[in-house]
Amino acid sequence: MSAEPVIQIRNLTKIYRDFWGRKKVRALNSLSLDVYRGEVFGLLGPNGSGKTTTMKLLLGLLFPTEGDITILGRPATDVGKNEKIGYLPEESYLYRFLNADETLDFYGRLFDMPAAERKRRTDELIKEVDIEHARRRQLKEYSKGMTRRIGLAQALINNPDLVLLDEPTSGLDPQGSRFMKDLILKLKAQGKTVVMSSHLLADVQDVCDRIAILYGGELKELGRVDELLKEQGVTQIRTDKLTPEAIAEVEAVLAKHNAKVQSVDHPTNSLEELFLKTIRRSQERPGQRYVPEGADAAKPPQS
Amino acid sequence: MLGLSLQPVDFDLVAGLVRWALAFGVIAIVSIIVAIVTSFAMYGAVGPARVGAGLGQAVRDFTSISARRVLAISSLTFKEAIRRKALLVFVVFGVLFMFASWFLTGDSNRPELDVEVYVGFVFTAVSWLVLPVAMLLACWGIPEDIRVRSLHTVVTKPARRNEVVIGRMLGFSAISTLIVAVMGVVGYVWIVRQVPDSVPLICRVPIYGNIQFLDRTGAEGKGVNVGDIVEIRQFVEGGSKAAAIWEFPMPAGEPEKLRLESRFEAFRTYKGDMNRTLRVRYTLLNPAKKIEVPLPVFNVAEFSQNELDVDRKVEFKNEKGKVETFDLYKDLITDGKLTVKVQCLDRGQYIGVSIGDFFVRQLPDRSFAFGYWKAMFGIWLMIILIVMIGVTASCFVKGPIATLLCFCMVVLGQPAHDFMDKVVSGKQVGGGALESVYRLVTQMNQTVPLPEGGLATAIQTLDRVPSETLRLASNVIPDLRSFWMAGWVGKGLDVPWAGALLPSIAVTLGFALPCILLGYFSLILRELEAK
Repeated sequence: MSAEPVIQIRNLTKIYRDFWGRKKVRALNSLSLDVYRGEVFGLLGPNGSGKTTTMKLLLGLLFPTEGDITILGRPATDVGKNEKIGYLPEESYLYRFLNADETLDFYGRLFDMPAAERKRRTDELIKEVDIEHARRRQLKEYSKGMTRRIGLAQALINNPDLVLLDEPTSGLDPQGSRFMKDLILKLKAQGKTVVMSSHLLADVQDVCDRIAILYGGELKELGRVDELLKEQGVTQIRTDKLTPEAIAEVEAVLAKHNAKVQSVDHPTNSLEELFLKTIRRSQERPGQRYVPEGADAAKPPQS
Repeated sequence: MLGLSLQPVDFDLVAGLVRWALAFGVIAIVSIIVAIVTSFAMYGAVGPARVGAGLGQAVRDFTSISARRVLAISSLTFKEAIRRKALLVFVVFGVLFMFASWFLTGDSNRPELDVEVYVGFVFTAVSWLVLPVAMLLACWGIPEDIRVRSLHTVVTKPARRNEVVIGRMLGFSAISTLIVAVMGVVGYVWIVRQVPDSVPLICRVPIYGNIQFLDRTGAEGKGVNVGDIVEIRQFVEGGSKAAAIWEFPMPAGEPEKLRLESRFEAFRTYKGDMNRTLRVRYTLLNPAKKIEVPLPVFNVAEFSQNELDVDRKVEFKNEKGKVETFDLYKDLITDGKLTVKVQCLDRGQYIGVSIGDFFVRQLPDRSFAFGYWKAMFGIWLMIILIVMIGVTASCFVKGPIATLLCFCMVVLGQPAHDFMDKVVSGKQVGGGALESVYRLVTQMNQTVPLPEGGLATAIQTLDRVPSETLRLASNVIPDLRSFWMAGWVGKGLDVPWAGALLPSIAVTLGFALPCILLGYFSLILRELEAK
């Protein structure tokens, strides 16, 4: 992971308006965050929290009401940025009348790839996502898991530097979910930056380096997963198995029993606990949001 | 009788280009001004800068179009249309042709007319089957792509919006081309099999000229209006100095024989001998050398062609009875032009003529297939134009509205063209909208001029607003009158380049750039994910 920001979002606000221009929904409110090269970044939040809106703003499918987005050094509306981006939409919105080969060939052509390179890349990806047996079948005959796999393959056709995954594990069975997470970790190992949105917390916890928790269109938490999961007010001491007598005396004076301390650490919540706590706090104190402190917010985490 | 649509009016390309540039320029400038004002109202001082940036982006997008991406999108569109069963239209076409001969084959005493019926049927069937398919495909493609969000996976790649628009247009054009080509071949074979052997299927190549009239005193003037509802013809009074004079541009080469072909209408003011037709005479003129060579008198063959061959050496007896000989090319054709005077010789009778009624027929004739495919090309151009309009409309409205818009422009807009042309050119009797209301209220006859004064000036000035709006509309609604070329083929005539093909090509090309630009800006300015 490097200190080079791949995505910079500043004061991003998105308001949906009705036909007459009246405000309908404030989907995103003053969102600011950075994503750094080589990390797996997770956007978390319940339904309607602004995750997908953020994703679509990043891709230029929506226009911000206020604020700026820079991706790979270019504005979000610049088509040129897409050369190095791979995008897996929430649902697989691929052309259902094409088969897997035709699908990857089509998207390869959109990247202006020569025929030989498209063929090579198509073969590679079809093997990688393990749909060789179904490569000649139209996508409308695919199961949900297979559709996600071909969707992922099209997102990787250009060997992108930045991969945007919208709910990558949604609707997948445990095996499919494991496959997807392994692939994300493999992409990270290849030095690619991955941004994923999800409300499946275990998946996020498994693969993400950093996360942002959104609620009601506002940023509520931002940081490293392991940092965020630490219980800062509690100290946990782990020891060898003690005799009952020793345990009784631990409460009085731990050191007097000369026990060998194996580790002293903060106990961690599960991500699910953190998430629910954040949401509960947000509901209790509406309007309070996480504001990154200037450059600190953009500071890359220490890995 | 030649139909109204077969009048060979040469298309003025330069005037057309100027008209196009003016309409395009006005619309472009107004659009930019509206964009600047709107963006200023929405975003303040940075608004106009955004418009400038958008225009700069457009220039970059259009200068970096990738043929591979465009072809990818067009081939996807082609596959999509096929897999959406667009080719089922062939089934309807096949059924039509299986049973058409039951209804179209007659025992006409004039089998040459059957050709016109067969040709008309084929072209009508092709156009009425392909046009709705092309229109629906074009109008629903992009909206459906947006609805199911497939377009998201395209525009999040380096595909530019103009590539999407052009690719879609090319894809739908390709599928339409396939359909037209197959139907054209089937239709051609069907015509050839239907037409009796006794009727030659040919393509006569006419050279049309300019026409002017002499009145009964021999002075330049107009033909007579005999009250015929078909206003296209003017009538030449027989037994007088009245004449119609054609000037034909002659092609290079000096063939030994020229064939003059005409098809005049007779108008009688007395019954006389009904078995005797009107007598007509051609006179070859060379105004520069003051040579007049009358050709043999002939009786007008009503409802069919009069053919008269002129040899290279033309002989006639002058008033003194002396035989004079002239060389057609040295003495009578000057500056590449042949002038022919046509007169009716029967006093009190008239011949009705129009510019397309008389021509020099180039020999040898061309094959029927030549004219047939030219006319089919006209249908193809019409379909391409409809595809362009449909795709453009679909970039800013949803499928049903795009279809309605396209239908209104292409189908309902056509009958309005004559009316719009008249209003815009000031030839509409009764004036514009306000003037018409004034005349209705005051019960003033529409042929009576408005009383001079401030009121008339005010009415006519205000009428310019809707009139100029109509002028814009007449430029925006495509004029498809020249695209229908089946009439020429049905009459066994070649489709004229300057009178039919050139205007059709020009109209299609003229719409291409504005359609692509409008489609591009519509897609670039809209949020594909807008809720």
